[in-house]
Amino acid sequence: MKKFLFYIFKIFLVTVLVAVVLDGLYTYIFMQSKNRGKIEAVVNSEAKKYDVVILGSSRANNHFVSQMFEEKGLKTFNYGMSGGHLFEASLMLKLMIERKYEIKNVILEADLNLSNEKMAEGIGSLFIPFIHNSTIIKDHFKNESDFNELYYIPFYRYIKYDGKIGIREVFFSAIHKKTNSQDNLGYYPLEKHKNGNMKNNIVNLNPLPHNKYYEEIKNICKKNNINFIAVMTPMCENVVGMNYFDKVKKAYPEIYNYENVVIEDKYFSSCGHMTDAGARIFTAKIIKDFFNK
Amino acid sequence: MFFNSTAFAIFLPIVFFLYWFVFNKSKSTQNALLIVASYYFYSCWDWRFLFLLVFSTFLDYFTGIQIEKSDSDKKRKFWFWLSILVNLGFLGIFKYYNFFASSFAEMFNSFGFKVSPFLLNVILPVGISFYTFHGLSYVIDIYYKRIKAEYNFIDYSLFVSYFPLLVAGPIERATHLLPQVKIKREFNLEKAKEGFLQIIWGLFKKVVIADNCAVYANNIFDHYTSMDSVSLIMGTVYFAFQIYGDFSGYSDIALGVSKLFGIDLLKNFNYPYFSRDIAEFWRRWHISLSSWFRDYVYIPLGGSKGSKTIQVRNVFIIFLLSGFWHGANWTYIAWGAINAFYFLPLLLIKTNRNNIEEKAISFNFSSLKMICNILFTFGITCVAWIFFRSENIHMAFEYIKRITFFSFDLDGLKEQISYIIIIILPYLILLEWNNRKKECPLFDRYSGIKTITTLIFILLFGQFDIQSKFIYFQF
Repeated sequence: MKKFLFYIFKIFLVTVLVAVVLDGLYTYIFMQSKNRGKIEAVVNSEAKKYDVVILGSSRANNHFVSQMFEEKGLKTFNYGMSGGHLFEASLMLKLMIERKYEIKNVILEADLNLSNEKMAEGIGSLFIPFIHNSTIIKDHFKNESDFNELYYIPFYRYIKYDGKIGIREVFFSAIHKKTNSQDNLGYYPLEKHKNGNMKNNIVNLNPLPHNKYYEEIKNICKKNNINFIAVMTPMCENVVGMNYFDKVKKAYPEIYNYENVVIEDKYFSSCGHMTDAGARIFTAKIIKDFFNK
Repeated sequence: MFFNSTAFAIFLPIVFFLYWFVFNKSKSTQNALLIVASYYFYSCWDWRFLFLLVFSTFLDYFTGIQIEKSDSDKKRKFWFWLSILVNLGFLGIFKYYNFFASSFAEMFNSFGFKVSPFLLNVILPVGISFYTFHGLSYVIDIYYKRIKAEYNFIDYSLFVSYFPLLVAGPIERATHLLPQVKIKREFNLEKAKEGFLQIIWGLFKKVVIADNCAVYANNIFDHYTSMDSVSLIMGTVYFAFQIYGDFSGYSDIALGVSKLFGIDLLKNFNYPYFSRDIAEFWRRWHISLSSWFRDYVYIPLGGSKGSKTIQVRNVFIIFLLSGFWHGANWTYIAWGAINAFYFLPLLLIKTNRNNIEEKAISFNFSSLKMICNILFTFGITCVAWIFFRSENIHMAFEYIKRITFFSFDLDGLKEQISYIIIIILPYLILLEWNNRKKECPLFDRYSGIKTITTLIFILLFGQFDIQSKFIYFQF
């Protein structure tokens, strides 16, 4: 029996060793990556200057046309991430501050995403390769239920989020295969879809009264003298539970309601996402109202 | 509790420790512990179905003794048929009732009679097909006086509910398993090492081969109407490896786990995709089920003896039953029928036992012929898998039709090619081919290197999503 236990121990040890080596290798590759996604680009960047930084989910990513800001002389990047929540937006801003970004304005898309404080696995997982290299990221994930496993078990994080930071992503990062996430200064234009779903039901959705990550973003901006602009962005006409936006306004009076700036279905690719044409109308209005240009 | 879950990774060492260090005084304590562990293991799925397992155990234990004790043929027959009918009755109600009810209703409706069937809203108890067949084989063997009835209830319970084989086999025989549970197991280093390696190999087949192939197979089968012919062909190949990795991976883990407790289970797979004809394939695929049907259905019906008509009838019965065993769906029956059609010519021209011996490959015509035979057998097996995987018969025929009306879309095809699979499949095939005379490719020569490489593959390419269940759990 002793021999068997020793045999198991040897295999276990080899497995741990392999896991440590792979963990190191994966992390090293992610640390070199700059052209895959917005997260690596920020994590692996140095100080930058922006007049406007846009944060939020896909409803930021697809709605704020960065070039239009640039045309008005405002250096801008759209850091909105499809599928992201405020959890990730807040972390992104923290990392920018840590890297000494000089930012004059932050525009935060704050509407549907106010309804939760959870990590969006698809996006949040992209920060995890850097968890040992950044105290900010480590602290941000500290309250996650499996933080200890993610932090202390070698390679566990890459197994758990294999679909996002697994071998496929490592391979593409290693060969520096570019994605389109940073094209158009981070803005991702949508086209009109024939079968786009022009209905939505948000009747059961409620904004959290004091969304932790929204408050975090607000406080970071205040502390760093960044002008904080929070806006609700448009949705199509056929939404059940449109009073959600009134509830947001009631809970967060400082958030500007731009939900009804664009209404017609022809400007929407799906109910929650405008086409490029819709995004341009919306962005023009934002630039005019907040930057007087 | 899945074999590839964290819960099992905790459960197994605990049971192992208790088995060899605490309950190792006698075979009774060892067996009692394994029964408790098995019932806990089963109740993790759904504790409500535990009563079925316990009832089935009681029934076969009791009827087995009654058959042996009976002094008249009439009584023996009574207890025998009671056991058979109750066992098959449970299986019929839980697994087949809705199928028959809706099939009859459809038939009546097609004749113009409006019939709306009464359907049961029940889920299929996990492993019912497996433990029912355990019990059936035991009772049949007693009835035909091949074995003696087991009077020790603990020992018999363990034979039925032993957790490594409880939910997806292999389907054990009393003649093989009962003698092992009737003696105290002593720790055997070599056997335990083999078991551990077999678990690693099974895990590799499940989380690396099956689960990676599943992504592509599911995508192709789910969107088959928009796929070109080459993608559809690849879909069948992916599924062939998915089901092989899934089921044989499970069996390997089951065999490996059991070896850790000093108990050998029946070998369930013997590198089936290296078969040179379909008869050989069926001697290598799901061996415990094939041999069960052979011993308890095919041979009693006359087997390959008797007239050609009888032989054809027997072949069809065994293959159709085998298909139907997998599930209440016409697709499984069609799958069985196709395999019967594949097998019949070999039986009729008496070449079904041509390929018994293993042969090595060398640079000669005979080896080329052997490779062609292997590829041909794999090809026709893939065609049958289309029926197995399809949701209904119509889909299967439509799938095949789309393959035969040849179309090619390079962009679509690129989407179906995975570089991970290009790495892992050759590894599986090479390792299995070079070690095909061994029970597990990780045994013996270069065991250390093969094990470490396999572990690296598991870490690199494994899919550890708990949602990816084993396919055979549904049977």
